[in-house]
Amino acid sequence: MSLIRQVWVLLLALMLAALLGSAAVSALSMRQLLQTQLQLKNNDNAAALALAMSQQGGDAQLMELLVSAQFDTGYYQSVIWRRADGSVAFERSAAARASTAPAWFVALTPIEAPAGTAKVSSGWQAAGSVEVRSQAAYAHDELWAASLRMTALLAALGLLAAGAAHLALRRIRRPLDNAVAQAQALVQGQYTLVDEPGVPELARLAQAMNTMVARVRQMFEAQAEQLEVLRRQAHCDALTGLSQRKHFLAELESALNRDDGPARGGLVLLRLRDLELLNQRLGRAVVDQVLGALGHAIKVYPERVKGCLAGRLNGADFALWLPAPDVARDTAQALSDALQASLPGFGSGIQVALGAVELPRERPMSDWFGAADAALARAEARSGFAVEALALAAEASVQGERAWRTQITDAILAGHGRLQEYPLLDKQGQVVHLECPLQLRLEPEAGYEAAARWLPLAQRSRLTAEVDLHATVLALEAIARDGRPRCINVAPASLLDGGFVARLREQVFQAPQAARKLGLELAEGAALQHFELLQEMGRQLRPLGVKLGLEHAGPGLSQVERLYQAGLDYVKLDAAVVVGVSGDAARAAFVRGMVIMLRSLALKVYAEGVVDPLDVQALWDCELDGVTGPWATAQPV
Amino acid sequence: MQEYRSAALAGLLLSAGLALGSLFLPRPVAAWDVERVQEAAAQYGPRTLAAARQLMQLVERLGGQDEVQRLRALNDFFNQRIAFREDMQVWGKVDYWASPLELLDKGQGDCEDYAIAKYFSLLATGMAESRLRLVYVRALLDGRPQAHMVLAYYAQPDAEPLILDNLQPELKPASARPDLAPVFSFNSEGLWQGVGATSAGSAVARLSIWREALAKIRAEGF
Repeated sequence: MSLIRQVWVLLLALMLAALLGSAAVSALSMRQLLQTQLQLKNNDNAAALALAMSQQGGDAQLMELLVSAQFDTGYYQSVIWRRADGSVAFERSAAARASTAPAWFVALTPIEAPAGTAKVSSGWQAAGSVEVRSQAAYAHDELWAASLRMTALLAALGLLAAGAAHLALRRIRRPLDNAVAQAQALVQGQYTLVDEPGVPELARLAQAMNTMVARVRQMFEAQAEQLEVLRRQAHCDALTGLSQRKHFLAELESALNRDDGPARGGLVLLRLRDLELLNQRLGRAVVDQVLGALGHAIKVYPERVKGCLAGRLNGADFALWLPAPDVARDTAQALSDALQASLPGFGSGIQVALGAVELPRERPMSDWFGAADAALARAEARSGFAVEALALAAEASVQGERAWRTQITDAILAGHGRLQEYPLLDKQGQVVHLECPLQLRLEPEAGYEAAARWLPLAQRSRLTAEVDLHATVLALEAIARDGRPRCINVAPASLLDGGFVARLREQVFQAPQAARKLGLELAEGAALQHFELLQEMGRQLRPLGVKLGLEHAGPGLSQVERLYQAGLDYVKLDAAVVVGVSGDAARAAFVRGMVIMLRSLALKVYAEGVVDPLDVQALWDCELDGVTGPWATAQPV
Repeated sequence: MQEYRSAALAGLLLSAGLALGSLFLPRPVAAWDVERVQEAAAQYGPRTLAAARQLMQLVERLGGQDEVQRLRALNDFFNQRIAFREDMQVWGKVDYWASPLELLDKGQGDCEDYAIAKYFSLLATGMAESRLRLVYVRALLDGRPQAHMVLAYYAQPDAEPLILDNLQPELKPASARPDLAPVFSFNSEGLWQGVGATSAGSAVARLSIWREALAKIRAEGF
């Protein structure tokens, strides 16, 4: 029995005992009073009657008349005149009237008023005695009515007391529930703060819990800070703070391969001309300043644009990848203009050459660098601040947005979607779950197309919620068929759709068994940009058994301020973070740091896009819970 | 939890028990309790105790004798021993009904004190209540009418009573007392119903001055 219910039972029992007790006592004392009054009446009336009869000079007729008169004008059960020898001389009596009170009440509170007696005389002659007995029924009527009134009054008082108790209990209960909820959230790895209640004992409890949460938060923040240091060491060029070559390439590889990027992108290569000559002419310190200024100018883009990548490829070469079509040339020109204004400040003859290229994103990395190098070479062939851009002709089938929208909607309505299945394996080679990206058949005759093709358009048409719901239905059906855990991608944009979570919940609710094996994962950006929505989604779905995870997680994760309150189940580290850990101790150290931090939040940590078996081994050494990617897909199950 | 519940229940039962208990007080028994009388007399002082012992010896002696002799002996006992005084002088009150022991203690009293003391002493000898009545009479004293009380003895219910009076100390039949006009008579017969023997504090026991006196006298052992 719950604590509050026990208190209630105790209160009610005490209240009932008090009310019944006082009702019983008052009824009994009232009964005593009425009995006394009744006996008093019997005695006094007997004495008065005897006194009057004694004055009649022994006239029996007159004395009988007095008895009758007394009986008729009063409320008596009997008035008896007995002779001195005890025999009845005259008697008037009526049947005992039944009381209006219930029989059980009369039996419980007997009122026995003995008959009042008094001696009658006539001169010196004893003329016997009179016995007067009143009707007792009216006393019971009165007692019953008074008891009812008393009970009603006490019941009203009891209700008031219960109301007051209810309010008081609620005042205790709210902070208690809060504390319990906080404790439960702790178990689930959510570190929430609660308001301190007014009740001192509970206030101390809440204080202690809050202090603990604050301490956990400090620890987490310290870890995140440390991790950031590790990340810089592993990924960044010490001089400019930009990604170093290896990391930039890994990032770019990941960006080119993910589903949710733009159809076309741009790559700008920037080279500081005549590095050797500048070193000799200006000295290494000044050149370092120049390189720092270059890095600073380039870093502006990834800082301002999500998905934008920048890196220092080698001594004089910088790269900037832009996740948008039709901006490569303008960006290169803008960079050139900005540098042309600022670089002469360091000395004369400092010049850069820029080559820009725009390509469809699905092109392999070698194409990108091939084209960009060609553009850069053309720019270098010119003198001064030179910009060369190379744009391949856009592909023929450029459809209108409306046509796309119709195609996607139709495909969902017609059920032209299917889930692909890529295994996520743990260290023992067991399948943890299947990653299931959705494919849609947009044109009836054509084949299924991967998300990379239609997702950007779905995003632009605000159809991601529909798409994700469709994928959920397919996944739940598949789980119901073979019972294997599956997870699907959910676009962060879907969270912005007001009804999305509610509809998702409804779907999940209809398949409670399958829901326990369903995972939903969102890109890291969701936690950065829509933290509250993500948290709400977890609150709605996780109680139903649905797992919630972040995918493509990387450096951004340590910037999620309240990751410890997000309510997640797992995190998948982006390929950009995990690729190449086998050959690079700094990268491995960063991954290990991530794992330790996320583990402390009770999260599972997986790696994405792993290709190299050496990397896999290195990741197991970093204590990851599972890997996915080409390597995992190729393993025999 | 369990303790609270049983405590509350015990409280309820206790209060109910107290209230119910008052319904079943023992019935009174009219009796002369020698030890109680002695005890009560001792509290007034040695003189009263001696007087009470004399009364007790007298009562004991009279036990076997015929009733008229008892009447005469006790009538004389009180008439000789007690001086007539108004209540105002003895007790400082307009009207006060003293008990036999109070009367013996003071050595003085008014008409109802004589009558009461004689009444209870006669009951103590084993005389039936129904044969004795206290009677309010109008007495003519030196030609002036006066409220007075005497004790009347009825050998038979409808016989002519013998009068025990302090104004004329001799035991006489009613017909020999033309100076007395009876008004109303009473005794303690039937009055004890529903009233505790020692319940001098009971409300019903104090409903009238007579009942109050009765309760007081019973408490002293008569």
